[in-house]
Order: sequence, then C-alpha cells, then structure tokens
Amino acid sequence: MNSVSPSSVQYIVSGGAHEDKPPAQSKHLLGHGSVTDDIQESSGELDEVDRLKAKFMSAWNNVKYGWAVKSKTAFNATSPLILMGQSYVFNTEDEVDRFRQMFVSCVWLTYRREFPQLEGSALTTDCGWGCMLRSGQMLLAQGLMRHFMPPDWRWADCHPLSDVDFEVLRPRSPSRPAGMSLPSFTSSWSSPVAQRNPSSSSNEGQKRVPRQHLSVSQNPQVETFHRKVVSWFGDQPSAPFSVHQLVELGKESGKKAGDWYGPSVVAHMLRKAVAKTKESENVAVYVAQDCTIYKEDVMQLCNSVESSDPGWKSVIILVPVRLGGDSLNPSYIECVKNILRLKCCIGIIGGKPKHSLFFIGFQDEQLVYLDPHFCQPVVDVTQGNFSLESFHCNSPRKMNFSRMDPSCTIGLYARTKNDFECLCSAVSDALSLSKEKYPIFTFVEGRGQNYGLEEHSEGPVDSTSHFIPFNRQRRSNKRGSADDFVLL
Amino acid sequence: MPPFEKTQHPKPFKQRKSLATRKQEVAGIRTKFPTKIPVIIERYQREKYLPPLDKTKFLVPQELTMTQFVTIIRNRMTLMPNHAFYLLINNSGIASMSLTMAQLYKDYKDEDGFLYMTYASQEMFGHSENVVYGHR
Repeated sequence: MNSVSPSSVQYIVSGGAHEDKPPAQSKHLLGHGSVTDDIQESSGELDEVDRLKAKFMSAWNNVKYGWAVKSKTAFNATSPLILMGQSYVFNTEDEVDRFRQMFVSCVWLTYRREFPQLEGSALTTDCGWGCMLRSGQMLLAQGLMRHFMPPDWRWADCHPLSDVDFEVLRPRSPSRPAGMSLPSFTSSWSSPVAQRNPSSSSNEGQKRVPRQHLSVSQNPQVETFHRKVVSWFGDQPSAPFSVHQLVELGKESGKKAGDWYGPSVVAHMLRKAVAKTKESENVAVYVAQDCTIYKEDVMQLCNSVESSDPGWKSVIILVPVRLGGDSLNPSYIECVKNILRLKCCIGIIGGKPKHSLFFIGFQDEQLVYLDPHFCQPVVDVTQGNFSLESFHCNSPRKMNFSRMDPSCTIGLYARTKNDFECLCSAVSDALSLSKEKYPIFTFVEGRGQNYGLEEHSEGPVDSTSHFIPFNRQRRSNKRGSADDFVLL
Repeated sequence: MPPFEKTQHPKPFKQRKSLATRKQEVAGIRTKFPTKIPVIIERYQREKYLPPLDKTKFLVPQELTMTQFVTIIRNRMTLMPNHAFYLLINNSGIASMSLTMAQLYKDYKDEDGFLYMTYASQEMFGHSENVVYGHR
C-alpha cells in the first residue's frame, strides 16, 4: 500500500501545512452564484498559476498512478450506496455531489487534545481511549441534527471530498459508459491544490454543481442551530454532551477518564446526558433493555409531563446488541444492512475490534463510517464564530462487514408519535427480512417491568447468590449429575 | 464493575464430557423432569466483565420466555439492568427475547439434547492509533 498518496505529496509540494487553507476555499464548490462570483473577482494572477500547476500535477499523477491509487476509497458506479437511509447510485456526477453534501453534512467528532483537564484526572486529551465516546457523540449529534434541522438541510460550506475514487469521475476510464459527460481533467474531488485555489475550483463548481441543489440551506437561523448543536459537543465541562460530561456520567457505571468504553455503556451515558440538560427539552433518549424496546415505556418517556411542551417528545432509541461471540455472525450482515437502509436509522456505533467507528451506511459488502481516530487540537466553541471545519469530514471511508466487531449500539429516531409507530413496523419488517430466523431485537407492547421476573418469582428460584468469589472457584462437576442442575 | 482479570476459564462443558455421557445425563434428567428443558450456560471464553456462574446446568420451564430467563440469570449475578448482558445461542446468535424456551429448544438443541448458551457483555473500545486524514 502507498503510505503517502500522490495527492498528499502534491499537498506538501504546494507548501501546505494542514491549517493553511484560505478561509474561502471551502466555499468553492457551492455554485451559489453570489459566492462564486465573489471568489472569482478576488482571484488574481497567482491563482491562474496555481490552477495551471494543479492541472499539471493532476495530469502527472494520472500518468504516474493511473486511476488506482490504493489509499483512496473506491466507490463503484453500479451498486447503490446507502447513507443515512438514502440511496445513491454513482452513475452521474450529480449523484456523487448529492452524496458529498449528505456525507460532509454529518457531524464528525474526533479525538481532541489540549482541552480543559477532565475532573479527577490529569488528562487533557481523549486520544487513545475516548473513541467510543466520540462515536457515541456522533450518533447523538446525528439524532439531534435530524431533530433540529430541516430534513433537506445540507451544510452549505461543505468541502469537496478527498481520498476518494469514484468510478464515474475517473478521467478517460475505458469502463465509463458512453455519453456520460466527462469531468474536467483536474479533479477537484481529489486535488488539494485545486482546493487551495478558489478561482480554478469555482469554475469547476459552476460546471459541476447541479441546479437542483442550489437550494442548499443558507438560512442564517438554520446555520445558527447547526453551530449550536455542534457547540453542545465542544470539549469543555459546561457543554451538555462534552467528553467532560460523559466521563462524569460514566462514573456511575464505574468508569473513569482514560478507561475504554463499550457501545452499551455509552448508550446509557447519552441517555443520562440528554435527560440532564435543558438544551434539548423536547427530545428524549430511550435505551432498549435486553434487546427489547418496550413500547409503553417509550410512550411514557415521550409523554413526560416534565416537558415544557406538553405534546409528544421526539425520541432517539438506542439498542445495544451483541451480534455474535468472537466475531460478527455473518447471518446478521443482511440485517445490519436492512437497518441502515431505514430512514429512521441514525447510524450504528461499534467498530473494528478495539477501534470504535460510527457506521453511517454501506455499499456492497462494505460499511461506510466516520472515524474518530484523528487527534485534532481543541476548538473553543464558546467563541461565537468558531470554525466548523474540523467538525465535518470530507473523506468517506469503508471497511468490510467481516471486520465489524459484534458489539454495537443501533440508533433510531422518531419525531412524532406517528413516526414512532411507523418506526416500529418498519424496523420490525427490516429485522424479519434477515436470514437469521429470529430478529436481533424486538418491540413489545407494554412496559419492561411487566415482563421481568415478577411473574415467575413465585417459582422455586433459589434466592442465594450463585456466583462464587474467585478465590473459591472450583470445578462444578464434582457432584453427581442430577444434583448439578439448577431447577428453575 | 471491575474486570475479572484473574479468572481462569474452565474447559467448556462439551470438552469435559463425552457425547455419550452428556446424552445419558439428558436422558436421565428428562425422565425425571419431562417438562423442563436442560440448558448449559457458560461464560464467553474471553469475557472480562461478567462474573462466572457457579452452575452450568439449568432445568428451565419450557414456557419461560428468554426475557424472564435473562432476568433470572441477571439476578443471580446481581447485575444492574443497565449492565450489558447477552445470551448467545451456540455462541453465535442472539435469541429473540419473546421466544419461549420450548421454541428455542426445538430449533437449537444440540445432538446431545442440551441447549447451549454463552453469556457475554460487550467489548470495550479504545485505540491509540491515529488515522491519517491527509488533506485537512
């Protein structure tokens, strides 16, 4: 594998440290008339030189590496890619662009360093241990964005994608179907030089951004909310869903700063964090108990009288599951796909063994994810105009389903009571379609407490504790066979 | 709950006893308790967080649902409801919680006549390796 992609070499050549992009660069692909015009007016001769340089470098890379650079994530033009319940088939540039807008609009939360010290520890970073917390934050952020933002909202400032290889955008690919419009030779999808150059890329943008997407939200009020939601995840003790808050809530489960977390523990931490804050009063989090969603419990939670709004609270439902022993039981792959296909699904937190990821979609046998393992310097979200750039990712990645760790938590969202009813039937249908005979989780009418032990506690259940202290552990097969059985 | 790091894992039940012995045990207990289902519950081999159970063999009423069964085992381990706990059938699939033991037994009983379950919590995640996002 190439450890350094040609395009990153290019980036270094062009003198770029990671933060040196001009502030306007990210707008270049918008195609909103006014923005691009402004940029064009401000571009001078230097930009022209850059543009030529970009074209030359891109051409050079195409000659040198063809179109199979390994460090790029490849997206074929035939199989549908599912992202957050939406389907994309990359047979046109418009479709790629639609995907780009959706992907880049997802909130991306990563390791951070140099944040205020975590209470009860000396840690000022979560690098190396907090990846599951970050994945959990991303799942909650996705739910809250779904809740607070208009459904067609896309981040207007979103970046071009990098490290990607779309079959349909490959220059002069022999496999390209005839009659398809050729993207210009400089691929602004993958060329950071082009990114750095507003003039060249705005030309690209005008050609590329399709008409129907000109409605990308620029409503300042909506943008304020986008910023607000992101700031709730900022790295400081006062932010309602910060790592600081979560670590604090995790202490109730015996966790502390620096520990590793699991998708189930994190689900409960998110539930507590949302219940605690006043910021998101009309949304609640429900965590399924033993792979069961008790509908009556959800109703109760959503009809809560504590809410300032007496109506129905929207709900984020989290279902912690374990889809196998050592590794993912392959018969559940279809089921995971079916869930990701649902509009009400807001992603799955899980990962590869030890390495947490936020799964947001799939194409063929590969999951699409956001990876928190990227240590960024802290951003002060209390500054009204903090930069949103590091909270969004422009590099979609994929991994095989076979590498998925069986431990995960599935996220679902329902805005209204009616949505919740639809969610129940849609999810049940999706679960029953899988090859495995029984669904991985179920919906049950009634309340959790009614289904527990109560009905059976009258039975001959031995109430003495049956777990032995470790120092007294012994083989259990010493006694005769019939006595060995515990009679329930 | 702190990890149980020093726990040694006993050999799985199936490896401790021959097929013939196991068959015999099932036959014996089924004549004594024809309506009860013989279940083997073992700790997942790499489980770090859940305590070991002192017993592996259970005789379970056939009308008991998985939900009730899980609650009983949880109580035996004195686990909080929030604590992740999964019973995997044959160490691979999770059984739907609304199923009764009779249904499960019908579909998943072993050739020796036992129904095998493994209990496990969830894995923890944490990794120092950084992924390169070159162009940001």
